[in-house]
Amino acid sequence: MKHLKLTLAAAGLLALSAFAPVAAQDAPEPITLTLAGYAVPREAYGDIIPLFQRYWLDQTGQQVIVLESYQASGAQSRAVAGGFAADVVALSIEPDITRLVDAGLVSEDWKDDNPYSGIVTQSLVVLAVRADNPKNILDWADLAAEGVEIITPDPATSGGAQWNILGAAGAAERGFVPGYEGETAVADFLTALAGNVLVFDRDGRESYLTFERGIGDVAITYENEVIGAALAGGTDAYVYPASTILIENPVAVVDTYVDQNGTREVAEAFVEFLWTADAQRAFANRGFRPVTPEVRAQYGLAEEGEEIAEAGAGAVEVNASIVYPAVEDEFTIEHFGGWSEARATYFGDEGLFTRIAAEIQG
Amino acid sequence: MAFDSTGVQTNPRDTDAVFGKWGLRWVALGYLTMFILVPVLVINVQGLRLGLDVFWESITRREAVSAIWLTITSSAIMTVINVVIGTLTAYVLVHYRFPGKRLFNTLVDLPFAIPTMVTGVMLVVLYGPQTAIGQFLSDELGIRVLFAVPGIILALLFVGYPFVIRTVQPVLLKIEAAQTEAAQTIGASSWTTFWRVIFPIIRPAILTGALLSFARSLGEFGSIIVVAGNIPNRTQTATAYLYTQVEAGNLQAASAVSMVLLLVAFAITIGVDVFRWRRHA
Repeated sequence: MKHLKLTLAAAGLLALSAFAPVAAQDAPEPITLTLAGYAVPREAYGDIIPLFQRYWLDQTGQQVIVLESYQASGAQSRAVAGGFAADVVALSIEPDITRLVDAGLVSEDWKDDNPYSGIVTQSLVVLAVRADNPKNILDWADLAAEGVEIITPDPATSGGAQWNILGAAGAAERGFVPGYEGETAVADFLTALAGNVLVFDRDGRESYLTFERGIGDVAITYENEVIGAALAGGTDAYVYPASTILIENPVAVVDTYVDQNGTREVAEAFVEFLWTADAQRAFANRGFRPVTPEVRAQYGLAEEGEEIAEAGAGAVEVNASIVYPAVEDEFTIEHFGGWSEARATYFGDEGLFTRIAAEIQG
Repeated sequence: MAFDSTGVQTNPRDTDAVFGKWGLRWVALGYLTMFILVPVLVINVQGLRLGLDVFWESITRREAVSAIWLTITSSAIMTVINVVIGTLTAYVLVHYRFPGKRLFNTLVDLPFAIPTMVTGVMLVVLYGPQTAIGQFLSDELGIRVLFAVPGIILALLFVGYPFVIRTVQPVLLKIEAAQTEAAQTIGASSWTTFWRVIFPIIRPAILTGALLSFARSLGEFGSIIVVAGNIPNRTQTATAYLYTQVEAGNLQAASAVSMVLLLVAFAITIGVDVFRWRRHA
């Protein structure tokens, strides 16, 4: 599903400007920025965009109209590669940006000059369970038990689903899934897990909605989804596996399209804005782990002994009720030797998980 | 007024007639070629791009075969149910009076208008584990509806509902009362009258409706992607498989499976034409 909406705040500003003809005469023409995002951070961007619009108006006197589109990361990336002329892409996994680099749309050095390598948020793969955890699911190994129904998106269409499968695979490989040891640990565990999947939805958001409708015993999902659901008053519980993967979500300016659209300046400003303390806190308040040291410190995520400049107060305040606990064994995509290696090993035509999914017993 | 190059007035009727003869034909043929035939041709080229071996391999992969098989069997079950209920409904609509009949007649077309994805969501809301029906079915009867084959068939039944009714109804209306009355005056029961007099007349219409609804459900996607679990070899229909292949960037495999669906649909289209032709003959 593709959702394209005119940001209400922008519409509001436009409406207001109609009543202020004197100011409007000197103001430059409004500029339109198109953001193509993956499905999950939609609410966070809903918080951040009005902040950016105010910032840009203060800086330049120009109004920004932001058009937003959200769908599965892979589908979004293919849409942009296929001609959807978005100025900024915010995707779930780096390979979906690499596709745009290969298509000649994003410059090859997109993450080189950025102190965070283009990563704007982090999260963890976690397990969402029913309120009183009736199936007593405490870690990865419990997903392979007979009769457990798992909800996870389809890795063929969803970037988030690839994080999930890699989280499970990495945990098994690192010896955190009892009962699955030795050479075939990963293959055996993934086979047992795939056999218990009840629904492969198209994207991470849809998958979690399916779980919230009461379907399945456990959803492999992201910390930000479960925190978001808890903030919205959801009653489902969640558990952190002892070993899980750190999700890192990249953002990039689509060079070819911003040059065509004449939006480079505002697009680059928007992307930079995502690392400001306010934007990082807005992400953190929606359940995403922030990446800038000052804001990480505000949410109790600072490394020990790290010296951090205090983050100044801003428009967005810290929600102290949100806790980001540490897990025993947190690993990144580098455990698999980077994305291209991980993709080839697990999700390519002959990838391990591709073969396992094809062999699910009917 | 039209003039030729020498300024002589030409007969406007002639030019109109020529345009009518050839212009309209070119528009109709050109449109069919540009907007229907070319896309269909492209998918065949795409499917065969890597040669017959790869094509054969794509359509004989286990997930592809079971996806096509699931689509064909669930569509077939839907068609059988639709033929019985559709014929009965058309008969009721034509031969009986009851309060609210007009409304009923209008409601029959509703599935044409409801976006099929909404159909899927309605079924999830109706049969989900949080509802009384969903709980009764799963706890008391042990039947899983959603994300299983029954859910797929329910979605197809909803989507395919109007076809048989709407093809049989007009034929029933045309049957002269005299024909059925004649049968009854010579002592035929109403069952015999239906079976021996009415049924042979409406049979081609029933078959047309059946084939149309079957063809419709082969391509159904919106509702199925919501109610089926999309699990390969279990609940992944042909269209869901196609979607996955397209999303995974595997256009050739998607095109190859599309060609199989296309072939089935083409056979059905020919079938429909044959029955239509018989009916009019």
